[in-house]
Amino acid sequence: MRLLRGVYEGPGSHGILRVAASMRGVHTVLRALPGEGYFPALYGARERSGEAAPVSLSPLRGIPEDSWGPGDLVRDLSSVVRRHPETEAIILARSEAALLSGEEAPEIPESDEAPKLVTCEWESPRVGEVEAADLALEDLVRAHSRGRRERSPSPTANLFGPPVFGPSAAAEYAEAERLLVLIGVGVNARVPLSASVADLSRLSRAWVNVLLYREIGESATLHLQDEFGTQRVTTPMIGAAGTGAALRTIGELCQLDPKRVQQAVWAELARTAKLPWYARLGRPETFRGRRVAIFGDFTYPLGLGYALSREVGLEVAACGTYLEHLERDFLFHAHTFTDEAFVESDPEEVAARIEASDPDLVVGTYLEEGVAASLGVPFLPLCTPTTHSRFVEQPLMGYAGSSVLADALDSALSQPEEPEAVETASMPWTEEAREELAGTPPFLRGRARRLAEEHAREVGSAEVTREIFLRSRR
Amino acid sequence: MTILNEAGTPDVLSPLHAVNGLAERLPGVLVVVVGTRAEAHIVQTLPALDLPRSLKSAQVAFVVLDPEDPPQQGRVATRVIEAAAGLRGTGFVLLVVGHSAELLGVDADFEARLVSRRLDLPTGVANPDAPYDVSGTLSTDLEDRALAALVEVCPKRRTSDLLETASAPAQKRSRRFGGFLGGSRDETRPSRTRPVVLLGGLASSGTADELSGELERAGVEAVGRVPATGMRELPALGEETVVAAVDPNLTAALGAAAERGARVVSTLTPIGVDGTARFIHDVAAEAGARANELARARSVWENLERLRNRVRGRRIFFAGDTGLEVPLARFLADAGVVVLEVGAPRLDRRALAEELQALGPDVDVVQSPDWRGQMRRIDAARPDVVVASPGLHVPLVARGHLCRSPQDFLEAGVHGYEGARRILELLVSTFERAEALDSVNL
Repeated sequence: MRLLRGVYEGPGSHGILRVAASMRGVHTVLRALPGEGYFPALYGARERSGEAAPVSLSPLRGIPEDSWGPGDLVRDLSSVVRRHPETEAIILARSEAALLSGEEAPEIPESDEAPKLVTCEWESPRVGEVEAADLALEDLVRAHSRGRRERSPSPTANLFGPPVFGPSAAAEYAEAERLLVLIGVGVNARVPLSASVADLSRLSRAWVNVLLYREIGESATLHLQDEFGTQRVTTPMIGAAGTGAALRTIGELCQLDPKRVQQAVWAELARTAKLPWYARLGRPETFRGRRVAIFGDFTYPLGLGYALSREVGLEVAACGTYLEHLERDFLFHAHTFTDEAFVESDPEEVAARIEASDPDLVVGTYLEEGVAASLGVPFLPLCTPTTHSRFVEQPLMGYAGSSVLADALDSALSQPEEPEAVETASMPWTEEAREELAGTPPFLRGRARRLAEEHAREVGSAEVTREIFLRSRR
Repeated sequence: MTILNEAGTPDVLSPLHAVNGLAERLPGVLVVVVGTRAEAHIVQTLPALDLPRSLKSAQVAFVVLDPEDPPQQGRVATRVIEAAAGLRGTGFVLLVVGHSAELLGVDADFEARLVSRRLDLPTGVANPDAPYDVSGTLSTDLEDRALAALVEVCPKRRTSDLLETASAPAQKRSRRFGGFLGGSRDETRPSRTRPVVLLGGLASSGTADELSGELERAGVEAVGRVPATGMRELPALGEETVVAAVDPNLTAALGAAAERGARVVSTLTPIGVDGTARFIHDVAAEAGARANELARARSVWENLERLRNRVRGRRIFFAGDTGLEVPLARFLADAGVVVLEVGAPRLDRRALAEELQALGPDVDVVQSPDWRGQMRRIDAARPDVVVASPGLHVPLVARGHLCRSPQDFLEAGVHGYEGARRILELLVSTFERAEALDSVNL
């Protein structure tokens, strides 16, 4: 039991819903309390595609025996089959309340007839959104990729990327596909975004699986590796160096001519990739000694950490993830560019870690916006979860993404430092005022400190007293 | 009026979405959501589907339970006290404890008593999943439960207060409750009426204050409102207090008031001209005053004529989400709008008896509507405007329908005579904008 000010991940059912809603022909039956059916509203507002979310709620409630209203899970599953003849796969997701209620998943005999039912037997309240999304994708792939297909005649790759609600998810796939085509590799399937059930059955045709977003795709690609021997590329395609490394590995696994791959990389470095150009154009003083704190899921903090430390020359003062189930992998990679790698899922603790790292720039999820504001430093919301949904998506991956990153950095790092920051540091605080400040949540502390010091100056006090601090908060 | 029970799955925003709004609109209230990660995620993700603000509001905290290590009794209270420790000015703690927490063995009432004793603060419990007598969920259910919790902490009204009410000059009370009544008034007549407390109007507090003014004009003293502008401003509530709900479906809050011995008025919701007139009339009657609103209502209708002409004959479809749809439909039908369907995710016929009786004969109410069925009916009927629930909004706009959200009406302020004007203005501006956009040659 923890006291939190927010959560980075939703429940497992939300992860299953995100993966299923990303695909075509997959319908989710959500077994949940009547008040938990919020996914359609979220889907409409975030995706803005105009499509209704492919999800049906099977409400967990006592229903009279003579009622044919929804609530009986087996009947609700049959109803989805009947009412959605276009559905090729049905996946059952159960909310935490449904799991805690002790209700067993219905035993439905396995059948090869469409639509296939995927029941996610591993579901448990302990499994969070991202892990559940990963496992649900594996289940869907396992259910539909049986039997080896002949490898495609020319090199192709499966792209395993982010699902719906990922920031600019479609743009990430598009950029990766553009680059693969440049080096002579076709795309066999994009998974899960826009993938059909038929695409899943053809996954074994690909020469290589490219993990754009390892958090969701790790288990499915490991299954494909074990089952069909398809090799994986896991290097985050973020920054020019990461993208180049990934493309070279793909080229190698697809037995391409290394010279051709290198030519494509050089051409992109000349035309598209602006991050190296930005790093060379900028005054060294812009970057020297500038510290960045990065926090997010897995792929983005690691990819951005590499890019910002190696390609731009910033000091990564802290880098963390909230994905506790990926702790070992994350720390292993993050320690290659920072001494302050950490795993934490409490936003207040994250805020405290960021505050302690004394950064000049915060890159994070939307939950880190508060701490950046309280520190008075620029903030880039580049890691999942984010809240904004753009009509025009911009990739952060690939060479085009490196240019988007360059623009974001240029804007953030060229902001003049606030002169107050110098003044605030020098103002003394009484012990009682410090105690009051310590009682403020960390993500509000910086702002509270600034307000108190401003108020002290306004009233002509040379120090911040407890009374001044309390008055400044009113 | 026909009522059809479709026994489907309605599209309703989770009642938990209201947590941030409660924290924002109830000054001095700390809202602690006790549950699993799911509840915290809903609260954080769904504040009107806009930018999540929970982290910006220090008044919201989550006690996230570990499903594999259920909390011992009293541990939840300890965490709540931790949450309150860093905050100043907290006057009330609201524990939002849903079904998941109950399954994990949390005794919400016990934890609330413990919090109250240790913090020396009133503490209430709201269960967003608690079933009502009639099945179905409305997006406003948590607000109803929160109001019920606030009713329970209102000061109790004693017999001596009743004597005071009957004899004290209104001016004295006017000073006491000046914040509600919008300033001092020069009336000095002694009041012989029972005090009136208004319940609801969380999303549009300004319009509830307008109603207080209307009641006062009718010779009735509205001594306060739940929610109030602060915990100290909560009105005394008990026997001989007249309680009137300004929103429909506040069954839990009204039940709590009735348990206090208050006289709960059963009348129309003060939405629309006739609804407001009937509300004032019935509340005044219960308070012991006589109010004749006929002339006022006639005059308001006359003033609305221009707006009515703009909406007359337009066809509207209410998908159903907040429960406000029934009174809105009643008013719009009176104003000449053709109401094609009113979706009611929960239809408590007893609680809504007055409203249902007042609905015009041509209005169809669909109880527990199936949202896919609604989309088909909307596609077939092609209404001029759909008041769409949140899950239907974007898909309907994509199909070429003009949509407004129920929240738009709430935020505009629907109560009272002025609210009637605002409702029509909102519709007119919606049509005008749509016409302007349609006239652009793309």
